[in-house]
Amino acid sequence: MADAGVLERLVAQVGWQIRRRRAEFYGLRGLFYGAILGLVPLLLKHAVGPAAPLIALGVALLGAAAGALRGLTLPIPAADAARLADRTFDLQDSVATALEWGSRPDRSPLVDLLVADVTARLQDLDGRGVVRRRWPRELRLLPFPAVLMVLLALAPSIPFPAGRLPVFSSSDDAETPEERGAKVLTENRPKAAKREPLQHAEIMERNLSARGGATGGSQPGDLAALFKDTALAAQRPDFQSFLKKGDERLRMLEQVDRLPDLKRDFTQSQYKMIFQRRKELFGGLRPDQISPQKLRELLEEMQRMGRKGGDWGGDIGEGMEGLESGQTDRAMEAMERALSKMRAMEERGRGGRGLRGGREEGRRGGRGADRGGSGSDMDADFGEGEGLLPGKGRNPNPKGDPTERLRGNPFDAGVEGEARSGRKEGYDTNLLGKGTNVPSRLQYMGVFGQYRKMMEEAMAREQVPRDYQSQVKEYFESLEERR
Amino acid sequence: MANAERVQEFVEAFGSLKGEVGKIIVGYEEVVTDVLVGLFAGGHVLLEGVPGLGKTLLIKTLAAGLELSFSRIQFTPDLMPADIIGTNIIQEDPEGRRHFQFQKGPIFGHILLADEVNRATPKTQSALLEGMQEGSATVSGISHPLPSPFFVLATQNPIEMEGTYPLPEAQLDRFLFKLRVTYPALEELNEIIDRTTRARETEVRRVMTGPEVLRFRELVREVPIAAHVRDLASLIVMATHGQWEHAPDVTRRFVRYGSSPRGAQALVLGGKVRALAQGRYNVSVEDLKAVARAALRHRIILNFEGEAEGVDVDSLIGDVLEQAEAMSRRGKEVFLR
Repeated sequence: MADAGVLERLVAQVGWQIRRRRAEFYGLRGLFYGAILGLVPLLLKHAVGPAAPLIALGVALLGAAAGALRGLTLPIPAADAARLADRTFDLQDSVATALEWGSRPDRSPLVDLLVADVTARLQDLDGRGVVRRRWPRELRLLPFPAVLMVLLALAPSIPFPAGRLPVFSSSDDAETPEERGAKVLTENRPKAAKREPLQHAEIMERNLSARGGATGGSQPGDLAALFKDTALAAQRPDFQSFLKKGDERLRMLEQVDRLPDLKRDFTQSQYKMIFQRRKELFGGLRPDQISPQKLRELLEEMQRMGRKGGDWGGDIGEGMEGLESGQTDRAMEAMERALSKMRAMEERGRGGRGLRGGREEGRRGGRGADRGGSGSDMDADFGEGEGLLPGKGRNPNPKGDPTERLRGNPFDAGVEGEARSGRKEGYDTNLLGKGTNVPSRLQYMGVFGQYRKMMEEAMAREQVPRDYQSQVKEYFESLEERR
Repeated sequence: MANAERVQEFVEAFGSLKGEVGKIIVGYEEVVTDVLVGLFAGGHVLLEGVPGLGKTLLIKTLAAGLELSFSRIQFTPDLMPADIIGTNIIQEDPEGRRHFQFQKGPIFGHILLADEVNRATPKTQSALLEGMQEGSATVSGISHPLPSPFFVLATQNPIEMEGTYPLPEAQLDRFLFKLRVTYPALEELNEIIDRTTRARETEVRRVMTGPEVLRFRELVREVPIAAHVRDLASLIVMATHGQWEHAPDVTRRFVRYGSSPRGAQALVLGGKVRALAQGRYNVSVEDLKAVARAALRHRIILNFEGEAEGVDVDSLIGDVLEQAEAMSRRGKEVFLR
């Protein structure tokens, strides 16, 4: 094997250069921070005495020495030094490879050739200028503390201000955190009474001077004159009633069961909530794909609702049985039955609220009997066969009742409440005439990005042939141009 | 033979083979070098370029420069796997007994030119898979070893995509390199005209035998690689994966699937051949960079956004190389970067 000593010598030489450069780099950085620290004894020259400049200089030099020491002692991996040499001499990683493989037992015969080749090439090279000198950023700022040090050293000492600073707060007024917290507690309120004499004294004092101006002649600079002949001026601050009101509110907050449930949406009926949850649960899934656990939770919730006066307890029980025996479709059928009963009860309840308008009334009058629902007073007015034909009876719809929608959602078919009068905001999705500055255009532009994103996701997810991908892309580009 | 002489012999053989190809093929120095790198690395090469650029001629010339058997298969849509691998036919011996005998297909050659490989059906294309990866062909449950060295050089046409079957990713991955054959420069075109329109035809000398190729392949694998160069190869491959936590933005945005580990193998093997061909005994970072595009361009699958934006995979690989190199230096102290 070729002599690897040259290789190691070069790496050691490069390593030493790195240390030297590091010592310079970190030494200058240390000098900067030392100089900043050195300003402290110069500022305190009055207290430190004539030795202050020497101490400042010593601190700055100490910083430089500490930096240089750090630079010298930082570790240098031999492989990194070899890589540096490779880059400097354009040796194409041969030094690093030779250094790494030279000592490996599994080296190939080519490694010996490599080491010999690198050694021969290194002998002709001068390894002195391998590592470039770098300057720290702090070097540019170094003149500032240096000049400041000189100025402070030459300037007379800065005397300390004589005397003490005035005390703005007395120990009596200082309140501890415990006291501050205690103010909030209602049981500690009686403590406020202890301070009453002091407050009274202040109020009395005010009554004698400032408040007196409300009834008598005003003095220059008397702010109470602003409230002259007003009710506010005559009012006294009633802290007792304020505290009393606060106590009442706190007591009310303690009665959790009487607090309104702000989280609950009062416009949402029980049936609607259950219907929504059923829709989320099913979501186009087959009975065998539905989670039995979630179905059970839904049934249990319906059962809880049923205890408050619902008549669907039997259906829920049957559904539970179905779930127990693994018959999800049976459980779903039972749940549907219970849901329709719940809806019927909901509609009965809604009939009492006297909502006007929409098809609900007509349906209640005309078809309430078909569903077996109990007719209300309003139902009685719309008798069977009367008022259902156009222009007859009291049917408010001159064109007659519209036909039922197929699989119609009862909620979007019914109208609850009354439409408010006046102008309403709305967006027309039909493009009529020129397509600019029409609200519907905004809608189109809004959804275009979404559709494009969906298209891209679909393309990424699905295995679409490249030709088709380009066609789809071109189609969307053409839409973009139209925008 | 001394190691230095072996290396010297390889350098000379590489140079002379390149010179023989250069007698016929004008220009394309980089493509020819990469084809030879693929040959000595023990991989297969896919050449892509429009018709008439001399892809087939390049391969035929290379085959002429080697003392190896050469087969050419023109891939067409009606080509069947048996047309490539071979089939069992009934033979009758002198005693009148009949038996099946395996008739070897064109795959049983040292150098296989699969011309317009994307014109055959995937079923036929996959007939090449086993041969390319395992070096054997199985017919009727019997595995027949392919001759060694076995070197597949396939060509495909990037235009006229109608009626073609783009190679599946699994098969693309089996090619060590994918080379792009571009239009020649003006001077090169003049030279092509001069060479191809005169009466005298240039003859190609056979400069290398099959055993020599195998010996050089072994030599190539002895080339050492430093840890930091190997780490860079791994970083490059990892950086082609958008899912990797340190992946560059360009990869995250435009790449659906990154390179497989075969990509890293191709980088290192290609780097070794390149280093040895230049008379060096170690793989450098520059070697990796030189072969990175050829080794990775067919292993990176762009996503829809990348294809829609018309992202060039080669420039994407350039970005990946920069990022990977920066990553390999990151965290080092200022004097060691």
